[in-house]
Amino acid sequence: MSRRERARPARGGYRPARIPVATAAAPPALAKTAWRQAEARVTLHRDAGAGHRWLELAMPRAFPLPGAGQFVQLLLEAPAPVLLPRPMSVALVRRAAAGPVLGFLYAPVGDGTRALAALDVDDRVLVLGPLGRGFPLEVEGVPVLIAGGRGVAPLLFAAETLERQGRRCEFLFGARDAAHLVALAETRRRLDRMGGRLHLATDDGSRGVHGTVLELLDRIAPHLPAPRVIHACGPHPMLAAIARWGLRHSVPTFLAMESIMACGTGVCRGCPLPRSESERRRLSRARAPLPSLYGNPEFAMCCTDGPVFAAHALDWERLG
Amino acid sequence: MSRTPDLAVRIGPLRLKNPVLTASGTFGYGDEYAHVLDPKGLGAVITKTVTLKPRAGNPPARIAETAGGMLNSIGLENVGLERFRREKLPKLRALSATVVASLGGETPRELARLLEALGGEPGIGGFEINFSCPNVARGGAIYWAHARRLERTLAMLRPLTRAALIAKLSPDVTAIAELARGCEQGGADAVTAVNTFVGMAVDIGGGRSRLGRATGGLSGPAIKPLALARCHEVVRAVSIPVLGSGGIMNGRDALEFIAVGATAVQVGTASFIRPRAAAQVVEEMARLLAERGIRRIEAWRGCLEPAASPAPAAGRRA
Repeated sequence: MSRRERARPARGGYRPARIPVATAAAPPALAKTAWRQAEARVTLHRDAGAGHRWLELAMPRAFPLPGAGQFVQLLLEAPAPVLLPRPMSVALVRRAAAGPVLGFLYAPVGDGTRALAALDVDDRVLVLGPLGRGFPLEVEGVPVLIAGGRGVAPLLFAAETLERQGRRCEFLFGARDAAHLVALAETRRRLDRMGGRLHLATDDGSRGVHGTVLELLDRIAPHLPAPRVIHACGPHPMLAAIARWGLRHSVPTFLAMESIMACGTGVCRGCPLPRSESERRRLSRARAPLPSLYGNPEFAMCCTDGPVFAAHALDWERLG
Repeated sequence: MSRTPDLAVRIGPLRLKNPVLTASGTFGYGDEYAHVLDPKGLGAVITKTVTLKPRAGNPPARIAETAGGMLNSIGLENVGLERFRREKLPKLRALSATVVASLGGETPRELARLLEALGGEPGIGGFEINFSCPNVARGGAIYWAHARRLERTLAMLRPLTRAALIAKLSPDVTAIAELARGCEQGGADAVTAVNTFVGMAVDIGGGRSRLGRATGGLSGPAIKPLALARCHEVVRAVSIPVLGSGGIMNGRDALEFIAVGATAVQVGTASFIRPRAAAQVVEEMARLLAERGIRRIEAWRGCLEPAASPAPAAGRRA
C-alpha cells in the first residue's frame, strides 16, 4: 500500500489540500433538446480488470459534449441480440480534431452489455446523448467524490472537470476487494495530475482501509474545511447511506442513480424513482412548477430529472 | 424509379398527408423529439393518454426487456386534463402538426367529461380513446372488452366533437372483430388494432416479476405477427378505417399492415430505440412503393391476395 492510498486520519495531523473557491462554472445543461443520435466508431476496447471493460468511441464532430454525470444510450446495429439501447454514464471526454472521443467503463453482466463486449475496433455503435442532468460541479465547497466499484466511471470525468476549474478533490474509492477497485491506475493518474487525493477502502481489507467508503468518509470529513460538497456514484445501498450522511451533516450531497430504461429521453416514463416526502409535498402544492416534462409529485424520472439527484430529493427508505 | 407516391389518407373527417402516426405514449406531447424529427412530416402525432385527474403511474420497475420486445407497466402516468389544457395544448398547437389527443377514462362518463372539455379545442384533429390500457386496475382493457359498452360509450361521445374519433382496442380479447363492430356502430370514425399484449417476465433469482406489477404490456417486433393477424381480422369486420399498430419498426412492416387493409399505421416502441423512427418509416414506405411503381398508397391498401385469407369468421358481417 502506497502512502498516497492510505486514508490519513489524525495521526500527524491532516493537512487539507488548498482548494480554491468554485469558479463561476455554468450549471450542467438540461440536454433535453441538445441530444442527438449519431453513429460512432470504436477506437479502443480493452479489459479493465475484475471482468470490466474500457470502451472508447469516436464521435462525429458536431456531437454535443456531455458533462460529468450525464449518460448516453448505446445501441448496437442490427442484427443485435437485444432490442433496446443500453444507458451508460460517460467516464471520459477527450476533444480531438476529428470530433470528441467518449470513454466508458462497464461490466458485461446482461445480454446487452455482453453484446457490447464483443465490439471490435472500427465497429459502429449508435450513440444517443448526452442525456440527463449531471453533477452540479459548480456548487461551492471542497469536492468529495465517492465511488463504489464501477461507479467510479462518472467520477473520473467529474475529477477531470474539477481539475479544469482549478479545484482539487478528495476522492474516496471503495469496493468489495482490491480487484474490484476497477480502473484504479487510471483514477490515480488523473488525481496525481490534478493534485487530488485518493483514499481507498475495501470490504475485505485487501486494499486501503478495511471497511466501507462511509467509514472512510467518517474518518476524513472532520479534517476537511467547510463548506464541503459530495458527489457520489455506486450501488444504491451505498448511495442511500451517503445521502443520509449528507443530510445528517448538512453537506450538499449529489448521487448518480441507475435504473432500467427504455428511451432515456423522458418520453416513455419507464424509469421512476420515488421522491422524498418533502419533495412530494412541495410538488403537490397547487401551481408548483412542473418538475419535468410531465410532472409527477410521486416519482422522478431517472433519465431526465436525474440521473444525478440531490440527497433531499429521493426517498432513500424505498431505494436503499 | 418513379416520382414520390401520394401517401395521403383519410380517417373520418381527418386528412393525413401520410399514413404514419406515432403511437400514444411513445412520442410524449410531440415536442420532445421535435429537434430531431419534424412532426409536420408525419401523418399525425398521437399524444400520451390524458385522464381527468393527474396520475403518478405505477411503482418501479416499469420496463423489462424480453426477446424481441419490451414489457411496460407505466400505468397512464400523465398530468391530467387541467394541466394538459393549460401547458401541453399550446405546445401541441405550436408544432403545426396534425394532433390526435389520446383520452383515457375509467367510465363512459369520465370520457364524456374529457371530450366535453377538449372536443371543440382548436388544434386537435382527432381523439383516440384508449379502451385498452393493460396496466391500470380500473378502466383498463378488461373493463372495456364489451362490444355493447363500447358502442354505447362511443354513441355518447360522438356528438361531443366534430374531430375524428378513433377507438384503440386491446388484442387480449376473445373476438376483437365484435368489439370493432361495436365501435363502428357507436359512431367511431376508425379503430386502432392493437394496443400491447398482456405479458409477464419473472426474475428467477428473486422469484418475482421483473415489473412492479405482476404483468405489463408487450410491444416491439415480438408482437408484430400477432398484431398483424388482429389487424387483418378487424379490417374484415368493419368498413371504417383501421389503424394498424404493433411492432412496426420500418417501412416494410408498415406496408405489411397496409397490405392487410390498414388505412394507416402507428409507430411506437421503435421511437424509443431510434427517435427518428416514424419519419424513417415514411421515407422507406415511399421508396418501397416507388420501387414497385405504385403511385398511391390507396393502391397498395388491402392488396393481400384473397386466397391467402382464411375463411370468413363466424361473426363476420354479411
